[in-house]
Amino acid sequence: MNHRIYLQLFPVQKAEMGQTLLLSDVARLEGKDTLVTELAEIPIYTIGPGDKSHVVIDILTVLQSIHHWFPDIEIDVVGPTQTVTEIETPRSSKTSVLLVFVWILLFVGAGLTIMNFHEDVSMLEVHQKLHFLITGTENKQPLFIQIPYSFGLGIGMILFFNHIFKKRLNEEPSPLELEMHQYNQEINRYLAETESDRSSKTWNSNTSSPSS
Amino acid sequence: MEFKHIVSILIGLSGGIAVGGGFVAFITVLGIIPRLVQLTKTYKAVQAYEMSVITGAIAGSVGTLHMFTSSLPGVVTVPIGLAAGIFVGMLAAALTEVLNVFPILTKRIGQEHHLKLLIMAIVLGKITGSLFQWLIFEGY
Repeated sequence: MNHRIYLQLFPVQKAEMGQTLLLSDVARLEGKDTLVTELAEIPIYTIGPGDKSHVVIDILTVLQSIHHWFPDIEIDVVGPTQTVTEIETPRSSKTSVLLVFVWILLFVGAGLTIMNFHEDVSMLEVHQKLHFLITGTENKQPLFIQIPYSFGLGIGMILFFNHIFKKRLNEEPSPLELEMHQYNQEINRYLAETESDRSSKTWNSNTSSPSS
Repeated sequence: MEFKHIVSILIGLSGGIAVGGGFVAFITVLGIIPRLVQLTKTYKAVQAYEMSVITGAIAGSVGTLHMFTSSLPGVVTVPIGLAAGIFVGMLAAALTEVLNVFPILTKRIGQEHHLKLLIMAIVLGKITGSLFQWLIFEGY
């Protein structure tokens, strides 16, 4: 008797080195309960030392593994046809040294570039002129403008990134979060399209691959 | 009115249009106004903000091109300095963001979860650099 199972691959998931990805790790299943729990345990892929940072698993590979255990099952695939697995590497002390280095780099670089910017746009002259405009007195060092200005600089950046508030001002993602998401998505799409598994038997024997 | 005056008016007007257009385009590309609207949830006030930018730009150019002064106490410049700083800070943040620095950098060094820390490096660097310039650097 045939049962229909719906399968949706996750676009991305994380896994550790040496972990065996089960079907339930890479996909969401919908169908008869007893069948789904059995299917969920099917091993799909074991991450070995040969894998670097990402593994792309094709829907055909997944179907192959399922049919190996349940040859008569009928599966409807919904959604993406590849799934990207990010392999998490344990953090070493090297990365925290790297973090400190990058932190200092960003700190010094940010300070230098804002000074360059101020010189470039004659910010000091503008501040002096603004001080003269408001108070009517000349001041070579208008600290009343300059110090609040400097702190405002930081406040403005934080406001833009929406990061200082633990409780967000609203639920919308900040521009940086969107940017991170887009960047990750592009990487995953690139990997899915360039590194996808072409080695499954059905692909090689029954059809001639266009690249061969 | 002489011919040279007409030419001057023409040059001034076209220069103003070019600079004004460029200014608005720059602000728009960086998305500072949408960001502020999103933060304050004042979606209906976008037109008011547009007017604010336009009048601010005109006031700035009048203030710098024609020397007129008032004699207010020096403390009045504090909120103006602060507002100017916040605005430039948002500009700087938006520029870093447009240039896609953070996603690439954090991904490269595998520190995506330390994003906040790295942003604080930039923020504190900007504040320190700016204070250093005004308090020490310009004195030499």
